Amino acid sequence: MAEEPLPSSLFSGYPSAPGTYDELVEPGGPLRLPFRRALTPLASASPDAITRWQALAERALLNQGVTFSVYADSRGTEKIFPFCLVPRLVSAEDFSHVERGLEQRVRALGMFLDDVYGEQRILAEDPLLRDLVLGAKHHLPMLRGLRPLGGVRIHVAGIDLVRGPDGVFRVLEDNLRTPSGVSYVLENRIVSKRVLPKVFEEARVHPVEHYPARLSEVLRSVSPAPHDDTYAVVLTPGPYNSAYFEHSFLARTMGLELVEPADLYVDDDRVFLRTTRGPRRVHVIYRRIDDAFLDPEAFRPDSLLGVRGLVRAYAKGHVALANALGNGVADDKAVYAFVPQMIRFYLAEEPILAQVHTFVCARDEDLRYVKDHLDRLVVKSVDEAGGYGMLMGPTASAAERDAFRRRIEAEPRRFVAQERLELSTCPTWNGATNALVPRRVDLRPYVLTSPAGPWVLPGGLSRVALVPGSYVVNSSQGGGSKDTWVLKGTDPGRTDR
Amino acid sequence: MIARVADHCFWLGRYLERVDCTARVLHVTLHLSLDAELGPRQCWLPVVIVSGEREAFFAKHGEAAAGDSELVQSYMTWNPQNYVSLVRSIAAARDNARSIREVVSLEVWETLNELYLWSQSPAAREEYASNRYAFYRTIRRAIELCRGLLQSTMLHDDPLDFVSLGLLLERAGHSARIVDVHHHALRKDETRLDVVVETGVWLSILRSCSGKEPFMKRHQGRVTGPAVAAFLILEPLFPRSVRHAVAEAHARLLSIRPAGANDLPGERSLARLAALDAWLSSRTPETILPIHDLATYVVSETAGICEEIGRELLGYGGGTAA
Repeated sequence: MAEEPLPSSLFSGYPSAPGTYDELVEPGGPLRLPFRRALTPLASASPDAITRWQALAERALLNQGVTFSVYADSRGTEKIFPFCLVPRLVSAEDFSHVERGLEQRVRALGMFLDDVYGEQRILAEDPLLRDLVLGAKHHLPMLRGLRPLGGVRIHVAGIDLVRGPDGVFRVLEDNLRTPSGVSYVLENRIVSKRVLPKVFEEARVHPVEHYPARLSEVLRSVSPAPHDDTYAVVLTPGPYNSAYFEHSFLARTMGLELVEPADLYVDDDRVFLRTTRGPRRVHVIYRRIDDAFLDPEAFRPDSLLGVRGLVRAYAKGHVALANALGNGVADDKAVYAFVPQMIRFYLAEEPILAQVHTFVCARDEDLRYVKDHLDRLVVKSVDEAGGYGMLMGPTASAAERDAFRRRIEAEPRRFVAQERLELSTCPTWNGATNALVPRRVDLRPYVLTSPAGPWVLPGGLSRVALVPGSYVVNSSQGGGSKDTWVLKGTDPGRTDR
Repeated sequence: MIARVADHCFWLGRYLERVDCTARVLHVTLHLSLDAELGPRQCWLPVVIVSGEREAFFAKHGEAAAGDSELVQSYMTWNPQNYVSLVRSIAAARDNARSIREVVSLEVWETLNELYLWSQSPAAREEYASNRYAFYRTIRRAIELCRGLLQSTMLHDDPLDFVSLGLLLERAGHSARIVDVHHHALRKDETRLDVVVETGVWLSILRSCSGKEPFMKRHQGRVTGPAVAAFLILEPLFPRSVRHAVAEAHARLLSIRPAGANDLPGERSLARLAALDAWLSSRTPETILPIHDLATYVVSETAGICEEIGRELLGYGGGTAA
């Protein structure tokens, strides 16, 4: 086939970052082959048009109140999650690989949780893993022997993927407790369709708007009551939580009541909602509150938060919690290093998705290596999320590295380290220079699991580090997001998901 | 329905109505002050009184300030310490909606959020400075849009009933206060007002309740104080009359809490609201005098009913119910 002419006025002169993989542009300037047709209309747009569309997009998000609250700011401060209207594209072929890999991974992680809270077979095989698991902050020994309704533990998973210079997708982190961000996936899509209707239509993109319907089905599928009699609710800590927008978004799009802990109470080991017409029995709770704050009776006697007796009701099988209690032990950053081993152990398969090599400081030889190579490693505390409690070795000062070295020596179990990954970049609109610039991105796809097995939303949250050269994409630390367009394949049989 | 959610719905309704009433009164008074041959104080003091802010305003600015039209407007529009000022009421309405975004429709939320964002923006300040009428009209339009969207985009069940209940009780109190304050203020000076001035004042009272054209249809252009007062209090078919608002509020509460449903909370709220509705229905233009006594009774009784609803249905004070 003859080389197509490159209609990339917008992309010409795009300054690819050396040594990184770019999601849309090949080294030397041409658009990646699977995206050429889809991106042609965008490439021919003028910088003025992009600027105008970008402003429209931001205005739409602000008016819709698509905001998150910032913990560090004073109570109730709302910000829009910065959005770049230039989409991140994923080819049908790449996504099909990711999809199969995620299904396999989530399946294995679910079996691992069953095992940890059951026979503990894998722990008997590996003393280090045994120590890490039994000592993990989020391990809940009191749940041993308890099988959740429907046998499902990871109803919703958000698996963070990154791409190195070789273009291979690797798992960076598993989020198996209360992964957030899916509301932005859906809202970003609404904005893309509104602002770039022609580009979007031409590109042939998998829809994502059925996610709430799928989630609602998953919730019903694990109910202790018959499907049609099931009453499910979304449980939020309240309007000042940073993800409150998402909680209300999901409640609204699923048509479920959004409740706060004080709206619920437990009587005779059953959960009820206080309503203006008296108590209403609740069967399934999609909870967006951490384990530790769910039930003061079970976890923190001094806490005023939570629903007293909820864990008793859960243990009796009178209410389903999504996600299940105790999942934190499987998305612990040290346990992460053992996931390939889990896949082999439980499924007798080779892992489909690669992951990032991880030094587990609880392992003596790893600890020695980490201490000697802090200047080139990223060190993470195993039980903190959101980009907190990290050391970026290559950019930290010597004093910061020394301080972190002492923390690691004091509690090796709490730390893991990884080589700094050259995250892939994606062309991102720079309003200051009216040009596309490379900015680092990750991808968080969402996996829903019912008793019938896992399902992957064909899309995901592409977070982007808006600061030049930055690797940190977390919204709490100045990251933004892009709409993720998973392109439909040419196989007509695969268009319906 | 969750009591906490019902509480946000109820207050969403009250704040929406409060914003609408305040914007309308400011708008109409601005219009009146241009040609009414009344002193500025006679025009603007009632605005402060109707909002229930007389004491706070006097304490802050002194009694003479009630004649300063710009000061009164700025106090009633922008003052963040004045809890009935337009910007503060808009923010409060929006805060209530934000706490129950999964309950109000997306259209209602977006309209209210846009109004809020605009009210906090330089664009609003500019419009206030350059075109005061347009400023008040922008606010009124947004509230009218919200009211329409509430009716046309939400299920007509408990959440909407609670919004309407709050809105209607706020309205009943407001219409009563408007009749009272103007009647009261005018009576003292009655002998000094000529017919033209008096007609202008009563027309502006009607406009403050969007009632000029409906009144004319009933009275064929004969504008007298007693007729206007009777219309704003008793006309059963005028949506802003005290009687209509109370009857509608009664109907909304009945659908939330049916009369015979003794296992449900809300018995005393319903009894008091039913009694007020019945009492108003038995009034005639002859039995509403003196207006001041009637208005005071309506205002204190609607406030009392709101408190009772709070205790019985919205989870205030211990939360025995719901």
